[in-house]
Amino acid sequence: MKIPPVEPGTVGPCPVAPDALQGIKRQQTNPARWNGSGWQDFVAALHTSGVELAAGAAACGVYVTDAGGTAYGMPHGVVIARSAGQISLLLKAAQVHRVPVTVRGGGLTTEGESVAFGGVLLDMTGMSRVLHIDAAALTVRTEGGIYWHSLAEELRRENLDYLSAPLNLTSSVGGTLGVGGIDVNSARLGCSADQALSLQVVTPTGEIVECSDSENPELFRRVILGYGQFGIITEATLRVRPYTPLRMHYYYYSSLRTAIEDLQMLDRNDASDYSGILTIMDCAVNLLVAFDSDEREAAFNADWKSRLRGYGEFGFALHMAGHYALRPWKFREALYLLQRKREVFPEFRRAEYMRDGKMHDRTVVYSRAVWKHWGSRQMVIPDLATSADKFIEAVERGNAVCRKYFAHYTLYCVGIKLRLDHGPHYEMSCVPPDAEGWAYGCEFEPMIEGGVYSRDHFQAFKNAIYDIGVDLGASYYRFGGMMKGYIRRVFGDALVDRHLAMKRRADPAMILNRDVIF
Amino acid sequence: MSAFLARAPAAPRDYAACSGCSLCVLVCPMWRGSHDPRLTPEGLAKGLQSGATIAQLAGAIEACFLCGACDPVCPERIDLSGMIMDLRLRSANSRPPNSPQPSVMVELSARLQMAAGAAPAAGVVSNSVPVLLPGPDLRADAALLARVQALLGLAVFDDDGADIALALELGVEIPQQRLHGFLDSLRGHTIVAADGLLLRQLRRWLPGLQRMGLGPALSTRAAVRSNLVPSDLYVIEPRAFHGDYERMVGYYDRLQRETGCSLSLDLQRIAIPATSSGLPQKLGLAAGDDVQAKWILKGHKPARIVVESLADRAAFARVCHVPVVHLAELGEDPQMMQKFRHAFG
Repeated sequence: MKIPPVEPGTVGPCPVAPDALQGIKRQQTNPARWNGSGWQDFVAALHTSGVELAAGAAACGVYVTDAGGTAYGMPHGVVIARSAGQISLLLKAAQVHRVPVTVRGGGLTTEGESVAFGGVLLDMTGMSRVLHIDAAALTVRTEGGIYWHSLAEELRRENLDYLSAPLNLTSSVGGTLGVGGIDVNSARLGCSADQALSLQVVTPTGEIVECSDSENPELFRRVILGYGQFGIITEATLRVRPYTPLRMHYYYYSSLRTAIEDLQMLDRNDASDYSGILTIMDCAVNLLVAFDSDEREAAFNADWKSRLRGYGEFGFALHMAGHYALRPWKFREALYLLQRKREVFPEFRRAEYMRDGKMHDRTVVYSRAVWKHWGSRQMVIPDLATSADKFIEAVERGNAVCRKYFAHYTLYCVGIKLRLDHGPHYEMSCVPPDAEGWAYGCEFEPMIEGGVYSRDHFQAFKNAIYDIGVDLGASYYRFGGMMKGYIRRVFGDALVDRHLAMKRRADPAMILNRDVIF
Repeated sequence: MSAFLARAPAAPRDYAACSGCSLCVLVCPMWRGSHDPRLTPEGLAKGLQSGATIAQLAGAIEACFLCGACDPVCPERIDLSGMIMDLRLRSANSRPPNSPQPSVMVELSARLQMAAGAAPAAGVVSNSVPVLLPGPDLRADAALLARVQALLGLAVFDDDGADIALALELGVEIPQQRLHGFLDSLRGHTIVAADGLLLRQLRRWLPGLQRMGLGPALSTRAAVRSNLVPSDLYVIEPRAFHGDYERMVGYYDRLQRETGCSLSLDLQRIAIPATSSGLPQKLGLAAGDDVQAKWILKGHKPARIVVESLADRAAFARVCHVPVVHLAELGEDPQMMQKFRHAFG
């Protein structure tokens, strides 16, 4: 098979088409390192502009990889973001000298999207201030590099909370708005990106522009869920809400299908404030249901609780004991489930986060548990985002792929309520084109557990998951970076070429987040 | 099977295990002040992984408060503050022989050498008696020290290891003879220590030693605890708290439930340090700022601030107008006041 040369900053033909390289492990690779042409002139220009650029291992080493831990690259230099004006100067110089600029928030990408393969790495966490909280209007204006957790810390001093954000303390606001952001309340409140009311953006050519649904709406549409291609989010105005602790309910299933049917039933009927599925492989499936208020919980207890087909903890333990008693050859699997239960369950019930049976600071509880029990130096989390009616098939097929590639894994499923008025935002994003009302996302996360796998093994696993998405007409959260070969297969040439033309107009030297999407 | 299910806790790991999760960044007071990821434990660990030299990392090594907030949040169980203390020591040892050293460090080295050569302070307090290691701040406040002694009923240990605690902080080599002499003198005693960093290290050096921070020791006393009220903001000494996190987070959670007071904890239940205590401040080369104390107070309207550390009392007194009292000053039950009249003025 002849693979034609690809011009830098474009999406080339897909090298992983299902009819290509049959029987051979299909690979994706990191982009080539930028050759450094014109770097010294660029450094001189920044110096003249007063933009501080750090170099050397101590400065660049922090950014050598992302949360995925499979893509490694070093920038030539690092700029810590301090203001929109400073970023504007940086991007203007980068356009002139054609130096790639990779933007990083929390660095929680998994496909190398926030890893700089040469050029400048712009660390947005330097812009982490909360600028204004309007408790009456329930809005906050914040700098874009702030971690959601830092935002939560500030909001809690006013007894407020954000609406929805990734269950990870170290996601940044700007980064999340650029890709989506799902929470266990997204089935009710939508994804994080839909919470933004307005943004201050520095465009790839260095203009500082305010945008919203009413002001510069086209830029707003492209930046929200735009994977960092059309501008850098330096400030954001977000909706917030009064803080509430949660009353949690857990239901346990041994069938993925049944659990997903129950999840979707709850979502369709607005029966809970929070809902999501977290599994230990496909043997122990946990449906989490939670409430902000006693009234909502009482309504659930009266109308919906009896319709759920999951077990309580004790009932499920009995069920599993019977299941494995009849299948002694699955002894190791049973032991693994027991061990995970012993390790993980106490994390969700730590006394210092519980008051009167309610959980406080759920993001802290979940995020710390995620890093402690699921995190490692390598994290490979391919995902599928589908319409509601395709979701069960997507999860079941993805689960089969997980079983094939890894001994142990976790699935995390959640619904995402879509905004009717935000259709244009969703174009060429993680939101599948055929989703109406809700989209559903599932992350497939192998438990690495100190195991050693080759990058090829990881890549083959991701490809197998993504092939399901192509087959079903789904979308993905993580389609950039190492997975960008799938972009044309998922979205089609016409749409990709239209966005590429927009990108070329907005970013003539194609410097901003090069190789992430284009 | 039980052995398989009950995994023994693993030993702390070193910087090579850092996965870059950034959880330590969220709790790092240096990051809060600078928003510069290089000045964080993650920045140091990643720098070391990438081959940075100690000289290249000097800024971060010196800036660290050694508050220990990063230790309990690290999912990889890296001994981050231990790593930074070790880097400080290596940084000091890698100075060219004739380069000028801060006078504090020179004097401390001489004190340590002298103490190493001296006979251990044995026999001052008989073995197995609980003792108090007050540290220099509490020693300097005779009235408060007397109150603490009265409340706890403890003898003050003459050799309270203040030189060792300072050496740990500044990165000064502790002569083995001095260290072993100090540790030998503590064996068999139950220890209450005011210096959180020393307490943290004692936990590692003498794992079987019965020990407690000054805050928990005082706040378990009914005379103190009963005077904590919901309108109080209780400021925890962070080093002792983080050095024994699993036990302490439970202890203070119960304290809060029982008294209703607010605690100086963030949403991760990590104690926010109230004072800047990087190397430049310790060496007297830079003044501390009040950023941390202001952050603790943000959104709170306490009627009174109760501190465990004397340094924190000064910091809050600078930034607010509500009464700031040391924990020991709460314990004013009539019987004790009668018995220790001199301490209560």
